[in-house]
Formats: sequence, C-alpha cells, structure tokens
Amino acid sequence: MVKQISQEELQKIVKSVPMLSASASQLLQITANADHDLMDVIKLVRNDANLTARVLKIVNSAAFGLINNITSIDRAISYLGERIIVSIALGDCAGKLFEKELSGYESAGGDLWTHDLRTAIASREVVTQSGAEISPELAFTAGLLHDIGKALISDYLQGTVSEAVELISTEEGFDYLDAEEKFVGFDHTRAGYELAKAWQLPEELAEVIRHHHEPANAKEEYRALVYAVHLGDNIAMMGGFGTGSDSMRYKLDQQYTDYIKIGPKTLATIMLNVDIEFEKLASSLTSSGEED
Amino acid sequence: MGQIILGVGDYGASNTPGDDVKTFALGSCVSVIFLDPKTRTIGMAHIALPDSSINKAKSAEKPGYFADTAIPALLAQMTKFGCDKRGKGMVVKLCGGANVMDTNDTFQIGKRNALAIKKILWSYGMGAIAEDLGKNYSRTVVISVSAGQITLSSPGKPNWLL
Repeated sequence: MVKQISQEELQKIVKSVPMLSASASQLLQITANADHDLMDVIKLVRNDANLTARVLKIVNSAAFGLINNITSIDRAISYLGERIIVSIALGDCAGKLFEKELSGYESAGGDLWTHDLRTAIASREVVTQSGAEISPELAFTAGLLHDIGKALISDYLQGTVSEAVELISTEEGFDYLDAEEKFVGFDHTRAGYELAKAWQLPEELAEVIRHHHEPANAKEEYRALVYAVHLGDNIAMMGGFGTGSDSMRYKLDQQYTDYIKIGPKTLATIMLNVDIEFEKLASSLTSSGEED
Repeated sequence: MGQIILGVGDYGASNTPGDDVKTFALGSCVSVIFLDPKTRTIGMAHIALPDSSINKAKSAEKPGYFADTAIPALLAQMTKFGCDKRGKGMVVKLCGGANVMDTNDTFQIGKRNALAIKKILWSYGMGAIAEDLGKNYSRTVVISVSAGQITLSSPGKPNWLL
C-alpha cells in the first residue's frame, strides 16, 4: 500500500530541498520582469565569480566552435543569450533535483532535466512561431521549472506505475494527475507550487508550475504564458522525451486556441526546431561539465 | 553481437545474427520496420514528421527524420545487404504514432505520420502486415535480427510482440 503524503510531510520535503543560489533567484526575478534588458543579466553575472567562470567555460567549449576565445563576460552573455545563462545558473544550484532518478515514474536519472530543457525550448518556440505576445525568454524559464514537483513526489509513487497506467486506460477521463492524487494525496503541480513558494519564485513562474496541465485555472494575466508551456510540455512528450510512465498521459486543453494560434505546419516546424536547438544546448551545457 | 540504437530521425539495418536493432520512447514518432526473409536483414527508421518540404536542408542531412525521405533512404541502405531496391518480398510492420489525451486535429502528428508512411509504402506496392499505432503512451522497440522478433515495451505495461 502506498502512503499518502500529509500537508506537514510535504512541507518537510520542500524544506529538505536546497534553496536557490542568490544569483539564480535574482535571474528568475529579472527574467519575469517584462521591462528588463540583457544589461541587467550581465550586471548580475559579473557579481558572481563562479557563475562568470562557468559561463566563460561554456561559451568557449567545443560545442560553440568559436575560432577565438571569448574572454569578456559581457560578450559571452550577449553571445549565449539569457536563456542559456538561466539554464546554467539553475543547473548549478538545483542540478541534483533536476538530475534525480524518478523511480516513481520508472524514469532514469537525467530524464527530467532533458524533458525540462526540451519543454523550455518548445515553449519558447511556441511563442516565437505563433507570434503570441508573451516573453519568449520567460516561456523558456517557465518550461525549465514546470515539472519540478515530480522530483518531490517521485519516491512516494514507487510501485504505483502499473496500476496508474491501468486506471488511465480503463477509466474515462482519468489522467496521470488523477493517478498521482489518488496514490499520494496530491499531484506534481501542487507539490511543485509549494516549492515555488518556498523558493519565492515570481508569481508567473509559480502559476505555470501549478497550472501547466490545466491552464484555464491560471490567473487571467498569466494564462497565455501557462498555455504556451502547456503546449511546450505536450510537444516535448510527443517528441519522445517525457519522464517515463506519465508521458503522453495528460489531456491537451483545446482552449489554447484562444491564446495561441498554430496550425499543423507550424507545429511540425516547432517540433523540428526543438530537436535542432536541443542538440546545440545540451551539448554546450554538458561539454563544459565534463572538464570539471 | 551488437546493438544498433536509432535516435530520432535515424535509420539503419543489420543482417548480423545476435544483433538487436533498438529505438527508445516513440511518442508521436513512427517506426517503420522492414524484415527481408530472403537475406535475413532487418531495417528500421525512426520517423518524426510526415513531410520534408518544411526543411529541405534538414532532410538532406537526416533523411530518416521525414516519412517521404526516410523510406527511400532505408530501402537504399538495405540494398547494401542484397535486398531488393523497391522492397520486393519484404515484410513491413509499423509502430508508434501516439497522441496525447483529448488531442485536436493540429496535435495529431502521430496520425499524420502514420498516414504519410502508408501512402509512401503504397507507392512502392508495399503495405504493413502488422501495426501497433496510436493510443496515448510511448513505445520502445527492440528487434532481434536472429529471430526477426519485434518486442515493444512501455512503462507500467507487460512487454508485447508485434
């Protein structure tokens, strides 16, 4: 019998997760601010010697194939772009959580980070290809963080996979959120939302974490962003990069068409771009790690 | 005795007994599998999208990615093992092409992949004798070259044969 997680236990789990580094936390705040520019990111990174060193190492890694080394942090950040800086900062301070083996979903270590990166890229592509009035960089960051709750509840879901899959295939309308709630008392979006509060994430990111499977429930002012990540998440799963047993076992909210206009051809372009961008991004982020 | 692992948009073939040809976690992607009884060759392509017209450069670099370029490329690859260049005598099987729950037309890429593949096979006079397409879960495929046996798996489900 699987044990339900009480509210107190959830708080304990959340408290056991390391806090974000000051730089990562501030970067997320900056990204969420619609009026920010790259200079704000540059100023922040300059004040963090470790992050500066990491960024310089990555920009000069083989993945980017630059002929001349970049030695100035300003140029490195302009070249890489804000989203890569956010990926580096989050990967550095919450890497353990993102790399965790999700045994409760029969998903290997590293799968969650791959899924999150692909969702991030796909969410950004959804925004740019559809021309929706959403910040593409914010969609990327929100995509990176959307499934963080899975890392919190996965251990408690061990042994539930067969029954979850069976329920979804036999009970009308039952999806993986229902399965999580049935087995441990709440789903990964609620667990993730608790962590978002503990990490004091900007409200728009917390809303994405809480509502990315049911965007209609998000606050109106953030709903378009939540729909973008909803689609990005589905696109990552369709591309074959979910997190094990729950992949493809969620509902598409067809009301996305009120916020985001994409047809079959644009969707195909987005899927292709996600594969191309992911190869570049993943090799750049790991190639620097290997030298450590 | 080896493993040929095919990623998204890859294709490959083997006639080495003991080899396994594998592809992981097909979502909306579709695997086309050719089994040639005469030369005992197995070929597979992991196809992501129906139509290469959206990006010709990509299809030149990775023909296995699109249905319309993957099938000719796989057939050409299999001629190196003595198979017929138009697939004569080959057994065809298809799997993958899943959709998310409550999908709409736009998001039915799995279905569009399967339809495009069938149309192209048709133009070669080929058709699948077995298929496991659609539904809402990902599939991993392992083909044993010695036995010509195709095993499918998905988390939470017992393995099954195609």
